[in-house]
Amino acid sequence: MGMDTRPANPGATKGDVTRPRTGQVLAGSGLVRALSPSRPVAIVLALLSLAVLIALPWLLTGFWTRVLTSVFMFAALAQSLNIIAGFVGRADFGNIVYFGLGAYTTGFFVLAAVPFPLGIAAAALLAALIATLIGLPVLRLKGHYFAIATIGIMEGTRQLVNNADFLGGGSGMVLPILGLEPAVFNRIVYFAMFGLMVGYTAIVYRMARGSFGYELRAIKADEQAAAVMGINTTRAKTTAWAMSAGGSAIVGGVYALWFGFISPESVFNIVMGTEYFIMMLVGGAGTVMGPIVGAVIIELLTVTVWANFVHGHLAILGLAIVLVVVFIPNGVVPTVRRWVLRR
Amino acid sequence: MDPQVLINGLLLGAIYASVGVGFSLTWGVLNIINIAHGAMVMLGAYVTFYLFTALGIDPFLTIPVSMVVLFVLGYLLQRFIINRVIPYGVFMTLVLTFGLSLFFIDVALIAFSGDYRSVTPGYAGAGLVFAGVVISYQRLAIFVVSLLLVLALHAYLTRSKLGRAIRATALNRASAQLLGVNVTSIYAITFGIGAAMAGAAGSLLSMTITITPFLGNAFIGKAFVVATLGGLGTIQGALVGGLILGLAESFGASLIGPSYQHAIGFGILVLVLILRPEGIMGKQFYAEVK
Repeated sequence: MGMDTRPANPGATKGDVTRPRTGQVLAGSGLVRALSPSRPVAIVLALLSLAVLIALPWLLTGFWTRVLTSVFMFAALAQSLNIIAGFVGRADFGNIVYFGLGAYTTGFFVLAAVPFPLGIAAAALLAALIATLIGLPVLRLKGHYFAIATIGIMEGTRQLVNNADFLGGGSGMVLPILGLEPAVFNRIVYFAMFGLMVGYTAIVYRMARGSFGYELRAIKADEQAAAVMGINTTRAKTTAWAMSAGGSAIVGGVYALWFGFISPESVFNIVMGTEYFIMMLVGGAGTVMGPIVGAVIIELLTVTVWANFVHGHLAILGLAIVLVVVFIPNGVVPTVRRWVLRR
Repeated sequence: MDPQVLINGLLLGAIYASVGVGFSLTWGVLNIINIAHGAMVMLGAYVTFYLFTALGIDPFLTIPVSMVVLFVLGYLLQRFIINRVIPYGVFMTLVLTFGLSLFFIDVALIAFSGDYRSVTPGYAGAGLVFAGVVISYQRLAIFVVSLLLVLALHAYLTRSKLGRAIRATALNRASAQLLGVNVTSIYAITFGIGAAMAGAAGSLLSMTITITPFLGNAFIGKAFVVATLGGLGTIQGALVGGLILGLAESFGASLIGPSYQHAIGFGILVLVLILRPEGIMGKQFYAEVK
């Protein structure tokens, strides 16, 4: 039987997001590098696609501009998550709590007449601070125990916000409208989300090749051994979580501005959190380009199914997720890379 | 201390235990976090609803039917789909069951419609009053049946040959296989049992809450708390976890206010995880993290 030929120790894979592909993570950087014959070609290709993406909001309809904006938003969130879940191997299922905190902090400061960029900066700092404080006890947990603890923190926070009258409680918070023309406003949000996605990916790219990235991967491979080798594991893990939290919080702040209305249900949304966790896994956890690839695939799939099937779109989406997981269980980026290297 | 709050907490806790026990079993033994568990509870509730309204069968008597239906569904799912993804780790199977959950809920929405349904046998309103405490007969029966189901599962896992094979597989798959346990078959059967427990819980729940295709969503969070509070993969752990959650929610709602009901459960969960990650009744070697 198929199962009998597989690694005989189930404990070895427990709690490890990316165990089957640790080798690839250590071996390479990005999809671009694996696919392209030389560095100059890769740079030209990257610049070309950058130019196309910058021109797109003037070429596309409002609907498709919004779709791309949400692709970028999910890619930026999945990339933030990638730092703690993909590199450190701690499955932060409640990562969306920082998105929600970011949205609410930004909303709170904007309503208090603080300029928007300062509000977002405050949101990022607050989220990073909270992640550090929670992280000291919670990051001692591993595997599914860590995952549940983060879900617990996220649900608890949602309930607290639901009861916090100064944040509008269960009825939510309405942000001031900027008074811009809709097309201009949509373009601003498009570029904000695009910038976040590119910026986070650049940070992760640098991180993956630097000593910090190696520290994190060492912790994922074997935390005890990493500590013995002289890595301050507590500091590394907590820093990674704070980075991840700050990243998600900034996206939350931009989201709050974009939608103009936030409520506990809309921003502390576990379904949305699961969605970008899936994007990260489908693209390839612990890879630089995986979160972007996953976000593009899943979000475009969702939009296509949603637009073409009035009934049963969730059933089709569910089926699509099942098929992707069954046939590409390693994630798209590692699978493509292996395929390219084999030729 | 208000005895009514205590009784309500216990009655609620037994239902939580019956929802959580199957979830805990598949998680502890197979290392599968079955997000579709809530959807399976929902399917069990619909089995009871249709047998009750179409054939007039007493809801308690429909429990074996929904257990068999869900066992078959769970067995086939594990054998032919989930089994392929197990080597890729616990979070890949989680994503897979999330997809299955979306699929089941939406198919149920198409097949059964989104109308609110309820199962109300003739004796639904009756109850007994004892020392100022009101207990509905139906709630009491649900409590007793939940406990019996959980205890029967415990007896099955500890006494029967198959149950011992399941526990041996949970402790060490490789050794179990060396000693002649057919692990592939054990995995499918265990997942089937977890699904059957979800079906039974759905049948019981159908009498107390409104039936919609989405009813399971509210219970996935509870199942998480119940399974980890008590100790993953252990039956007594799920029972203790369920009762603690029921009591905590009941007392929390009466002392602090109903709007904090869910926060209390999750607050306890995070504390228990930090102080005793293996759960209150957790045992060594069960659902270990390497």
